[in-house]
Amino acid sequence: MTSGQPDSPRSTEIAVGDELPRFELPVTSTVIVAGAIASRDFMPAHHDAEFAKAQGAPDMFMNILTTNGYVARFITDWAGPEAMVRSIAIRLGAPAIPGQPLRFTGQVTRTSVEGDECVIEVAVRAANDLGDHATGSVVVSLPLG
Amino acid sequence: MEDGEVDEIRARLEAFIGKPMGPPAVAPDPVNTPMIRHWVDALDDRNPVYLDEEFAATSRFGGIVAPPAMLQAWTMPRPVIEGIAERGGAPGEIDFDNPIPILDEAGYVGILATNSELEFVRYLRPGDHLQLSTLVESISNLKTTSLGKGYFLTWVTTYTTGGGEVVGRQLFRIFKFDPTTIGAAS
Repeated sequence: MTSGQPDSPRSTEIAVGDELPRFELPVTSTVIVAGAIASRDFMPAHHDAEFAKAQGAPDMFMNILTTNGYVARFITDWAGPEAMVRSIAIRLGAPAIPGQPLRFTGQVTRTSVEGDECVIEVAVRAANDLGDHATGSVVVSLPLG
Repeated sequence: MEDGEVDEIRARLEAFIGKPMGPPAVAPDPVNTPMIRHWVDALDDRNPVYLDEEFAATSRFGGIVAPPAMLQAWTMPRPVIEGIAERGGAPGEIDFDNPIPILDEAGYVGILATNSELEFVRYLRPGDHLQLSTLVESISNLKTTSLGKGYFLTWVTTYTTGGGEVVGRQLFRIFKFDPTTIGAAS
């Protein structure tokens, strides 16, 4: 999906209960390592499967900066380039490991007007077959119109 | 574990609450386009306001902005690759007083991140030079979860630019646990 221009909703069209288009991320070692290094996180659990297993994880796993990055991308892919992410609050659960696609779902839970902005709260979930990897909420604002 | 031991550890941890978790830090580099490009490519995030100068100039942002989730990336400590596994993954030697060694020595060697709450006061632009300071916000009493017994530690980081403007905040919580107590009754 291209970063949402023609398909992005106008703020006046967004309503509580709206579902975001679902997104499935094929998680591979490359995805995990690329995100870790791009976020300057050299913790071996995010690039070395043996280190991660010695710590009790099933495999190397995605770092939190990358998880937050994909959550933000999930939101702005829907809301469009004029969207301003205000906050990302997540509880962390199952690790995101190679071979386990992450399925992102989201639902609008609240909308309000603050000045010239439509402020939208979205409940988000990223899950794989091990369970919920990240659940929580994102607040994003769009110019009114 | 005896009740006396529980009290002693939690009492020692009390001293860290409200105290800094490490010294204030300055980002190695200001917000810059090459690192934005690296992140955008790694996460396949094609939002045009991150790299398309012409597009960004006509957007509400007025110019290129960094992906908001990169907030923490700018101030990640530079790694010393040699010995990183032996240090348990820490980018460098940790020489400041903090609760983690007390918990490690008492057997709470497991570590699991449980919560991250990022707040973006404004988007960052190339040239913004970040600093951070982190405080220990709270430490729980001994808790029992499916991983075993342990303590939840929460710290809060405030991100500022050189001029003292607060640009973001992060709450981070971990569970430090004793892996040998897995399956223990509460």
